[in-house]
Amino acid sequence: MAKQPNGASAGGRAALAAAWQVFRKELRDALRDRRTLLMVVLSSVALGPVLLVALSVLVADLEARAEAREVFVAGIEHAPTLRNFIERQAWTIQPPPPDYESALARRSFGHPVLMVPEGFERDLADGLAPKLLLVTASANSRAEAAAGAVTRLMQGFAQEQASLRLVMRGVPPNLLQVVQVNEQDLANPQARAGQFTRLLPFFVLMAVLYGALHAALDTTAGERERGSLEPLLMAPLPRGAIVVGKWGAVAVMGMLVAVVSCFSFLPGQWLLRSETLAAMFQFGLREALLFLALLLPLAALLAALLMAVAIRCRSFKEAQANTTAVLLAVSLMPMFTAFNQGGEQPWHLWLPALAQITLMQRVLEGEAFGAADLLLPMAVAAALSALCLAYVARQLRAAALR
Amino acid sequence: MIEVRGLAKQFVQGSGRSRRVLAAVQSVGFVAADACITGLLGPNGAGKTTTLRMVAGLLVPDAGTIEVAGIDVATRPQQAQARLGVLSDARGLYPRLTARENIVYYGRLHGLDEGTAQARAAQLAGMLDMAALLDRRTEGFSQGERMKTALARALVHDPSHIILDEPTNGLDVLATRGLREALRHLRDEQRKCIVFSTHIMQEVERLCDQVVVVAGGRTVAEGSVPELLARTGQTDFEACFVQLAFGEAAARAGGGAA
Repeated sequence: MAKQPNGASAGGRAALAAAWQVFRKELRDALRDRRTLLMVVLSSVALGPVLLVALSVLVADLEARAEAREVFVAGIEHAPTLRNFIERQAWTIQPPPPDYESALARRSFGHPVLMVPEGFERDLADGLAPKLLLVTASANSRAEAAAGAVTRLMQGFAQEQASLRLVMRGVPPNLLQVVQVNEQDLANPQARAGQFTRLLPFFVLMAVLYGALHAALDTTAGERERGSLEPLLMAPLPRGAIVVGKWGAVAVMGMLVAVVSCFSFLPGQWLLRSETLAAMFQFGLREALLFLALLLPLAALLAALLMAVAIRCRSFKEAQANTTAVLLAVSLMPMFTAFNQGGEQPWHLWLPALAQITLMQRVLEGEAFGAADLLLPMAVAAALSALCLAYVARQLRAAALR
Repeated sequence: MIEVRGLAKQFVQGSGRSRRVLAAVQSVGFVAADACITGLLGPNGAGKTTTLRMVAGLLVPDAGTIEVAGIDVATRPQQAQARLGVLSDARGLYPRLTARENIVYYGRLHGLDEGTAQARAAQLAGMLDMAALLDRRTEGFSQGERMKTALARALVHDPSHIILDEPTNGLDVLATRGLREALRHLRDEQRKCIVFSTHIMQEVERLCDQVVVVAGGRTVAEGSVPELLARTGQTDFEACFVQLAFGEAAARAGGGAA
């Protein structure tokens, strides 16, 4: 016969035991859904290495360009003085490809081209200010970036020529240099890497969301659609115990993906092609554990939230349509940090998902943050999870019958 | 014993101008004795499923009382549920679990330990002639196989009271016979109190010791099949049921057409 609780504590124990049974069953059920599981785990395992390789290719390309110090010049034979200057600056001069104009427009060629007119040397000697033409395409971002460097190179040439002329006339060159501007970059190497790694927290977050999604729908809307929710409620259990058991299983699925994707960044680092990025992207065990400390409470909240949305839906399909709103909301969160003009605001840490993304970026940028920063999002997640679960428990009976 | 008195339940659909009140159950009452099969007979929409859901503690009645083995369902729903085995209208199984796992899961939810739940699953499989199904996943089960699994699941905690909502729906002749035998066995060997709802006369004639005729949300007649026949003066149970449920005029019209 069924257990007969005869006191508050016995009832509590029975409820806990029931929640444990529901949890075990739901987890087993979710883990048997091999096809879904395989997709979710594979994509989260692949996430780290793929992202890192993509980033390292990007950074390596930028580095190669910075180190190459190449300038493509057409008609350099008309300007020996300019050639002398460029070579003294340790730049190499390359002839442009014949179809460079269309290649620039197509973005298959990533360098601006400097055009030197025929009478350059003569005009320069006569003090006639010869005209140089820098051909680039503003839609070609690689060429645009390099154009800045070439422009600065040419300004250097102009300044040297001007100084020489002044010196020959007996004028000290610094008469013309009224103000001196020096640059000081406040970003440390890790903060600079953060520009590249800013996307990582977002992808990890979405992986966690998708990890919990299927289980959340299956344990709520799926259970309704199958007609197994009504029999479940015939068991002499408090509804809270059923909901907590289900939630536990869904949260574990999300957490599983969180763990897998965080640790996939560790071996992913070996694949880094860029030395600079490898040096800047410091994602060790400490960072992985901090990520998990942030992601696990969030996985629990997302599980509860998805269940709360899905319990109102009669079918799996309807629930998928409804949870799109949640997916969209979470995926729009990083926009706050991408478009924020006033920097990080205190309220960012109060908003789930945004708080975790913000803090994960801080981890990547190597900024220090205290336990208080960790506790606030955790407390918010706990409070909201409790709210969502209470709602699911309230809806459960009505959901079973409709 | 299950005692139901003066049960009423209405549902509100929509809101504002499109608000409609549907009186699903207005006055249903019956007593189902132990070691007895009681049939809840009524046309579609008579309020059978709603009544049984209230007995099972899934719905809270607007009025009336329900007692299962002397336990008031309204005040002690969990104790009542522990004594009830319900095969509801919704018979969803978990497709990725085997039949055995489906059954044992409910055993564990009812507080059985693993060993007892496993033993009960094996025992019920013997009684319901489904031992060959036990270790198959329920995905792709036929209607009959699903019904057996769902029934075994409902009985896993050896409840003294059994409620079945239209159990023969979608079953073929053999499966229906098998179910009938199982119910007789439960009544005769284990002295269970069994209540099942149906709209099929033959089921009632073959199986029920006691019939409760429900129509329009009310109990319109209660008694054994011979008693009801005698009361209406009919020889055919179908005509007897139509007369009880819809009135004499309907019974004559139906008889004339046939």
